[in-house]
Amino acid sequence: MRSRDGNRSLTRTICSVVFLSSFALLDAKEFLISYRYVVKDATLYNEELHISNSMQKCIGKPQKSLILTSYKNNDLKEIVQRNEQKFIDFIHKLGLSVEHKEKTTNYINTSTTILTLKTTCFKVDFNDNLARITPLK
Amino acid sequence: MKYSLLIVALSACALVANTPKSTQTIGSYDKMSSIETQVIDIDTKVTSVETQVSNMGSKVTSVEKKLASIESDVKKAKAPNEEQVLKEDSDVRISVVGQGVAPMNTTSPAQAYALAKRAATADAYRLIAEKVKGVRIDGQDLIKNMMVTRSTIRTSVKAMVKNANVVETTFKEGLCEVEMEIVLSHAQFAQ
Repeated sequence: MRSRDGNRSLTRTICSVVFLSSFALLDAKEFLISYRYVVKDATLYNEELHISNSMQKCIGKPQKSLILTSYKNNDLKEIVQRNEQKFIDFIHKLGLSVEHKEKTTNYINTSTTILTLKTTCFKVDFNDNLARITPLK
Repeated sequence: MKYSLLIVALSACALVANTPKSTQTIGSYDKMSSIETQVIDIDTKVTSVETQVSNMGSKVTSVEKKLASIESDVKKAKAPNEEQVLKEDSDVRISVVGQGVAPMNTTSPAQAYALAKRAATADAYRLIAEKVKGVRIDGQDLIKNMMVTRSTIRTSVKAMVKNANVVETTFKEGLCEVEMEIVLSHAQFAQ
């Protein structure tokens, strides 16, 4: 395709589009997230959620994503803290490994259940007021 | 004149004699028409009764169908021990209710609810894992001088649970109950 002023303006527009899209891509970050909680005798005993920046590029297919309100903030930890219940429910849907042990000694019962999300890479796109969190598997 | 008067009198007599006959014929006509109307009424009644009977027949068939469905339900209810088997054409829905309680040292009812819900969810996940994968059970009894001094039962489950849905959550008197279900399809386990 040839523009009216020659090829120069066309290449300029293509370059600008590539430049802007690269900026948009730069806004996507990858995080490693793990989650684990322990329930002892039907009472929550310990809960851990670890979020850290990925040092390496993640490999995997993007799964169903979750959109959270970011309140114009690019800190994932804060965003997750503000939308904690939504994020925890999302993690549950992804799948947790269940480890349960129960011991009954002389008719006295004790039990421990551990639910774990093994360290998973998440791609996070920060937009103006939203953060799209997509797990990569 | 006399003859004319006589004729008039005779004709008058004749008229008088004829009048009851005409009334009689009119009366018979009336009777006929009333009988006809009665017959028509009976006909209409018969048709209405016929329609009622046909309606009753349809009602009877619907009641019979309902009875058949109730009988099949009763049969299903009578055989609850039948193990559900995963088939290619049908999915299996597993439903469980997990229970959890809040710790004693909570700062607010909201926190108590959140923590109890977490515990109940974990219990529901455990129940699903137990139902789908099974439980490992170990038992140990220590007998000294012909007496059981220690009896220990250990159970354990290890599984991965995905796509479990929370159906309902209730929180009453410190106990949180989470109803959870999972749908298993044949394709998920096909190799």
